[in-house]
Amino acid sequence: MRLWPRIGRGFGRGGCHGGGVRLGDGRLRKVGVVGSPNVGKSVVFNNLTGAYVTVSNYPGTTVDISRGKAKIDGEEIEIVDTPGMYSLLPISEEERVARLILFQEKPEVVLHVVDAKNLERMLPLTLQLIEAGLPVMLDLNMMDEAEAAGIEIDVKRLERELGIPVVATVATTGRGMETLRRRLAEYVRSRSCAVAV
Amino acid sequence: MSEAEAVPLRYDEFLEAALSRIGGLLKGHYGISRRAVGLLLLQGDPQMEREVKKRDAASYSLLQEIVSQARAHYNQPLSYVIALRRQQEARRLVSAVVTLRGKRRPGFAEWLSRAMMHPVSGSLILLLVLYFGLYQFVGVFGAGVVVDFIEGTVFGEWVNPWVTELVRGFIPFQVLQDLFVGDYGVITLGLSYAFAIILPIVATFFLVFSIIEDSGYLPRLAMLIDRVFKAIGLSGRAVIPMVLGFGCDTMATIVTRTQETRRERIITTLLLALAIPCSAQLGVIFAILSGSGMALLIWAVTVALVLLLVGYLASKVIPGERASFYMEVPPLRLPKLTNILAKTYSRLQWYFVEVLPLFILASVLLWLGDLSGLFGLVIGGLEPLVKFIGLPPETAVVFLYGFFRRDFGAAGLYDLHSAGALMGVPLVVAAVTLTLFIPCIAQLLVMWKERGAKTALAIAAFIFPFAFLIGFVLNLILTRLGVSL
Repeated sequence: MRLWPRIGRGFGRGGCHGGGVRLGDGRLRKVGVVGSPNVGKSVVFNNLTGAYVTVSNYPGTTVDISRGKAKIDGEEIEIVDTPGMYSLLPISEEERVARLILFQEKPEVVLHVVDAKNLERMLPLTLQLIEAGLPVMLDLNMMDEAEAAGIEIDVKRLERELGIPVVATVATTGRGMETLRRRLAEYVRSRSCAVAV
Repeated sequence: MSEAEAVPLRYDEFLEAALSRIGGLLKGHYGISRRAVGLLLLQGDPQMEREVKKRDAASYSLLQEIVSQARAHYNQPLSYVIALRRQQEARRLVSAVVTLRGKRRPGFAEWLSRAMMHPVSGSLILLLVLYFGLYQFVGVFGAGVVVDFIEGTVFGEWVNPWVTELVRGFIPFQVLQDLFVGDYGVITLGLSYAFAIILPIVATFFLVFSIIEDSGYLPRLAMLIDRVFKAIGLSGRAVIPMVLGFGCDTMATIVTRTQETRRERIITTLLLALAIPCSAQLGVIFAILSGSGMALLIWAVTVALVLLLVGYLASKVIPGERASFYMEVPPLRLPKLTNILAKTYSRLQWYFVEVLPLFILASVLLWLGDLSGLFGLVIGGLEPLVKFIGLPPETAVVFLYGFFRRDFGAAGLYDLHSAGALMGVPLVVAAVTLTLFIPCIAQLLVMWKERGAKTALAIAAFIFPFAFLIGFVLNLILTRLGVSL
């Protein structure tokens, strides 16, 4: 298990002209965390960056944009926590800000965090992100609650259907976060190669 | 794990044709796919329209024509047509990847969750939470034991004498010395108040509140109280600042930002300033009135009635739309200790940055008031009012202090009580009147900052006469009924 990512990384480096830590213009590779409110976006963000900000059930806490740095596989990556958004067609000021971050900051990976037990309500945004040609990765968060509700999700199948990486997590306990980090690192590298070439 | 390239969703033929025509015309760089730009144009996104006008000015009118043709083709708005197709695809995906195993049999969490929202058992649980979480932990432990130690020992015996010595040694004039270390000094009042009284109380309160919040109790409490609050024109969302108000009304006033409408924010701000006693007040009032269960009951019922009555009237008088309240109730969770501690810490930090400057400003104002003699005038003016509600004249000072320093006001009552000058009915009347006062000058300043000068002054202008009026009426009722406590 531990060996594969390393080999993968080796190849990644080779294909990427040495693949330094930073991009050509010297900025860090970036991951944008998006999703609707109350899906555990901030917990995922805090888990990745290691700095706990605040988690709440009432709106108003992610109005400000949090930025942090994550060290994934020895590489420093900037993580941006965007305000909650339901759609790429913004209604609120917060959604407008979130969209602006996606369109203008062009993160190497857009991590879409969703509530696994409300998948049907969540997927339209995933579809829109794919539609926009953004490098999306899907995080089915709150898996424990989905399981408790008797919902079973075929993650591999969803990955094939959507054509993007999909991971399952319980961010509050850290379950699946290791896999999320690994796949995020792989994806970030493959993306920045694609950009470089 | 080779990832197949993600294939964008396909819409019906007409839309696809429109999208490919739009895509062919777009030459500018947008940072996202032309397909997405086209879809946003079709949905009439104003920001994207501006972008396209800027980057593809030459073909803009042609693009507009394609969009209006597409709009004419459908009976429903295009945003609806497009959203429907996405929803359809989402449903297809879910049916392909999700298997429903049927719910697990409802466990303890489910049972507890229902009990929390049930009117009877829910009220009981609320009482338990209030008693153990607020009264015992925040009131008795935080506001009692810890405050005694930090205020009495750390500041009273170590910090204040040392700083006073230092300041008197370095600053020549008595007046200037007083600014720092006098009765209302920036250090002896502002800073010691913030660190010795507020810090322990809000720290214990935030700890309890973080546990309550992370466990998922709040949405259930909101559901429980929503009905009562709706009757007084507030949504359950107001529960959060109101509950916070029991810790510190000043901070809770800042939290009213989470409410949706301006109308709700004003009503909640008013109720916080009027009828929600903060933990410092609660602690001392419990201590003063605990001698007689009846006195405590009269105090609680009076304040609760005032809360409901004023809330009800305010919702009738203050214009604006009633907020609709919808809340998804998340499952109950067992809070994680590290999360709780980190959260408590970050809240405290935020709170102090926000509020410490206000405390310092308040002590400067008090110093000026004392210096200019304004203080004596106000006390003289208060005396007739105090007599009017059946209290001994000495209590005038208590009320003035109570406005600036709630602990001081309540502690003044405590002093008078233990000196035997204030007992029975007048004591309850004084406690109720003081509770209805704006808790402290910091709160007035925060109201000013959050709601604007006009609203803050209007609320203050209402509260002070009203508090005395309630005190008067309560005194009248209790003496007429011949209640002896």
